[in-house]
Amino acid sequence: MISGLKTRIEARVERGLRQARWALVALACAAAPAWAFDLHELMGLLAKQKQGEANFTEQRYVRGFDGPLAASGTLSFTAPDQLVRRTLSPRPETMAVDGNNLTLSRSGRSRSMTLDSMPELQGMVEAMRATLAGNTQVLQRYFTSTVGGSASDWTLDLAPIDARLASQVATLRLSGKAGEVLGVEMEFRGGDRSVMTISPKR
Amino acid sequence: MSVQHAGPSRGRRTLVLLLWLAAVLAGVAVISRTHFSADLSAFLPASPDARQRVLIEQLQSGVASRTLMVGLEGGKDAAQRADVSRALGKAMRASGLYEQVQNGDHSEWQEAGTFVFDRRYQLSPDVTPQRFSVQGLRDAVTDTMSMLGTPAGNLVRPLFERDPTGETQRIAEGLIPATSPRTEEGVWVSRTAPRAMLLATTKASGSDLDAQAAAVARIETEYAKATQGLGAEAPKLQLSGAPVFSVQSRDKIKGEAIHLAIVGAIVMGCLLLAAFASPKALVVALLPVLTGVVAGTAAVALVFGSVHGLTMGFGSTLIGETVDYAIYYLIQARGAAVPGTGWQRWRDLNWPTVRLGLLTSVCGFAALLFSGFPGLAQLGVFSIAGLVAAALVTRHGLPMLAPDGATGIGMRRHMARVASGIVQAMPRLRVGFVVLGVVAVALMAWQGGALWRASLSSMSPISKASQELDASLREDIGASDGGTLVVIQAGDEQATLRGTEAAGQRLDALVDEGQLSGYETVTRMLPSIAAQQARIASLPDAATLRARVAEATQGMPLAPDRLEPFVASVDAARKLAPITREELAQGPLAPVVRALMFERPGGGWASLIALHTTDRFDKAKLVAALAPLPEVQVVDIGAELGSLYDRYLHEAFVQVLLGALAVVVLLGLYLRSLRRLVAVCQPLLLAVVLTLGGMAALQVPLGILHLVGLLLIVAVGSNYALFFDQLQETGRADEDTLASLMLANLTTVVSFGLIAISDIPALSAIGRVVAPGALLALLLSAAFAKRRVR
Repeated sequence: MISGLKTRIEARVERGLRQARWALVALACAAAPAWAFDLHELMGLLAKQKQGEANFTEQRYVRGFDGPLAASGTLSFTAPDQLVRRTLSPRPETMAVDGNNLTLSRSGRSRSMTLDSMPELQGMVEAMRATLAGNTQVLQRYFTSTVGGSASDWTLDLAPIDARLASQVATLRLSGKAGEVLGVEMEFRGGDRSVMTISPKR
Repeated sequence: MSVQHAGPSRGRRTLVLLLWLAAVLAGVAVISRTHFSADLSAFLPASPDARQRVLIEQLQSGVASRTLMVGLEGGKDAAQRADVSRALGKAMRASGLYEQVQNGDHSEWQEAGTFVFDRRYQLSPDVTPQRFSVQGLRDAVTDTMSMLGTPAGNLVRPLFERDPTGETQRIAEGLIPATSPRTEEGVWVSRTAPRAMLLATTKASGSDLDAQAAAVARIETEYAKATQGLGAEAPKLQLSGAPVFSVQSRDKIKGEAIHLAIVGAIVMGCLLLAAFASPKALVVALLPVLTGVVAGTAAVALVFGSVHGLTMGFGSTLIGETVDYAIYYLIQARGAAVPGTGWQRWRDLNWPTVRLGLLTSVCGFAALLFSGFPGLAQLGVFSIAGLVAAALVTRHGLPMLAPDGATGIGMRRHMARVASGIVQAMPRLRVGFVVLGVVAVALMAWQGGALWRASLSSMSPISKASQELDASLREDIGASDGGTLVVIQAGDEQATLRGTEAAGQRLDALVDEGQLSGYETVTRMLPSIAAQQARIASLPDAATLRARVAEATQGMPLAPDRLEPFVASVDAARKLAPITREELAQGPLAPVVRALMFERPGGGWASLIALHTTDRFDKAKLVAALAPLPEVQVVDIGAELGSLYDRYLHEAFVQVLLGALAVVVLLGLYLRSLRRLVAVCQPLLLAVVLTLGGMAALQVPLGILHLVGLLLIVAVGSNYALFFDQLQETGRADEDTLASLMLANLTTVVSFGLIAISDIPALSAIGRVVAPGALLALLLSAAFAKRRVR
């Protein structure tokens, strides 16, 4: 008796579960068109831009300072792996990445190093470079990503996977329109924050 | 039998045997306390020029000679390799055997970081009066602020109030090499293979092979501990670097020498048994050989303090020549009319010829004694002592043991028949040999200097696989370009440091041009006192600085009093005592300082600058940039070693020629007849020419050891030529004499033939020359014998 009852209850629960699962699948299928703008598609858009030049302005909010620290300059990217950030104000400074080499030039001195010897730095470079190149594979090696918005107005949230990088950088948000990145916001552990606005040269 | 009656007296016999035994025991005692070395440095000149001296010091005890590269390849995954790397690194650091163990785990830099921060106003090259002007401060603070609010900000911010001009960063920039290995899971890994990497420098000097062997063995033990329980999933251990190579070559040469000696002894034993059919004769025949090897090794140990592995390997070549003495004695002392007097007849009739053969050999090898290269001189001492000892034993010892030579006839009758057949047939081939000789000379003339194209590395017993592993590990580590070194030498420490700073300034220009990606110099940690004082002198006093800071930070979102700790730090720095080498020697930077700066053995100091070159590097520009500095030299290691070897080869040529000349003079003095002298020298010269011609035809690159081999052909071959000369003079050749010649030649050819197939290039070079050369020397001596031997 008791065992018979138990079996019946079990059967009902199981049926209920199966229905619920179907319902979920159906819902997912129905909702699919609205979620269509995913990382894959965004990267596809970005990958079409093989080269780009832009001006940037940057505001950094650092604890202990009375106002934001500002910088401005130019950015240039050439697919697949060349990225140059040239700061013009307040002091000239260039950071050029080419493949695995990073060259920093400042006050008439330049210094080069290999990116893969510093995984944290490489992660930061790839956030920008892999995004601009539309290289999903590389981006996913360093970050878990969440895409929001639509193709005409998207955001890409990146959370570092590497523990060391994550101990310094809390979140990264890139935003843009179609194949163009127009903004980068970074939030650091400890409360500092930086906001970069990018305006492509045409 | 009445050996005691007719042979040497009992008293004399006991005395001789006791002396002999005592000498051998003394030799063994000396050898047992001797160090065996295997480094290339024994084959570097003892009186080099200034540039070579630096190179040799570096090869013998420089940081390169103490650097070990460790790879952990394969295994489960990168995380597992990283764990093993950390465990191994920790255990190695704890062992105390290594000055420095690096695996990308930056924890070891913490202590160094504190030092750099504390002494930043003495160390930073940016500390100048301009830097502390209002504009300079403004620029420097702006530069440092540009790091804030970036991913690097967390490193800069804690120091900002005390170091707003970023001096710590500026110093760190210089200290971190431009070409670091790839990092994964927090440790160094290869760019091309699934492999974690460690780099260690031993505390022991590169020339202390026993300590190096211990350091290598310790890594193997600690690796086994670190991978315990991982089973088949454990990553494989790979080891390379100069210490591994030296230890390996020593073991290899040692093993090969023993192996050759055993095989040689067995083959020789079979030959001697076949010839004498008497075990006693066999034992007796080997006694001069063993005594010779003991005497040679002990003599080298006494003269040079240590025995090079190659000399030891060379010992096995001596078997071939010294066994001849015993063979001559054992056969020629036979057939005495009164039993027990055979030795006397041999002493009167045959010993003078053996003695002459010995003297010519000694003459030949004596030339090597004057070599400027300790390695070659060792071979000379070894050969002379060995040959003399073997001859003495044959002359004085063997008569006590076998007064009438060897009993038993064995296969000698057959040998004699073959020998006499050869002796009779050879003269008919005389013309053929001469023609071949002309062809050989033509071939050699055609190839010219290209014939002697073997390089120093061809003497190295390191296998190709080991060399490839080494190159691959080196590439992964991103070690500086070992090919070119900048060396600064001066009379004292401070002058050396000032010279190093001057060279550094010129190298900075090359870095900006992109020819160098960086360089390593001791003055980043240890600036000259003058440079430190100049920096301290550019620091303003607290009140001045405070005022300038206030002016410089106007318009910045930064209240000037936030930089009060900076003012205090600068003020404190003005009172700091200069950094000295003694101070650094106690701290974490000691290994780096020791690697880049050292006291010269002959007095004075030297420092090295290691270059990290890019593909745009142009050596001529480097040389030109540094040319105005007299105390600075650019050493191209490959080119220096090449020129060293050329000098070595040239010197060896002269010595071998002098040795050959000495042999001819000695023969002339003994023979006192130009005709006989020509008859004796003719076959020897032709044997050398034909051997060289054969090598040329086979496209064998010849080197110094081939040259030594040629000298051996003359030394061994002169014995044969003299015997034929003797035969012509006395006009008789009994069966036994012919058999002894045949047997002596056979043992020589066999022992050098064994060496010819050795894995050790240096030994096989000698064997490949002497084995055919000795055979040719015998055949040609027969061919050019003036009268037909009946």
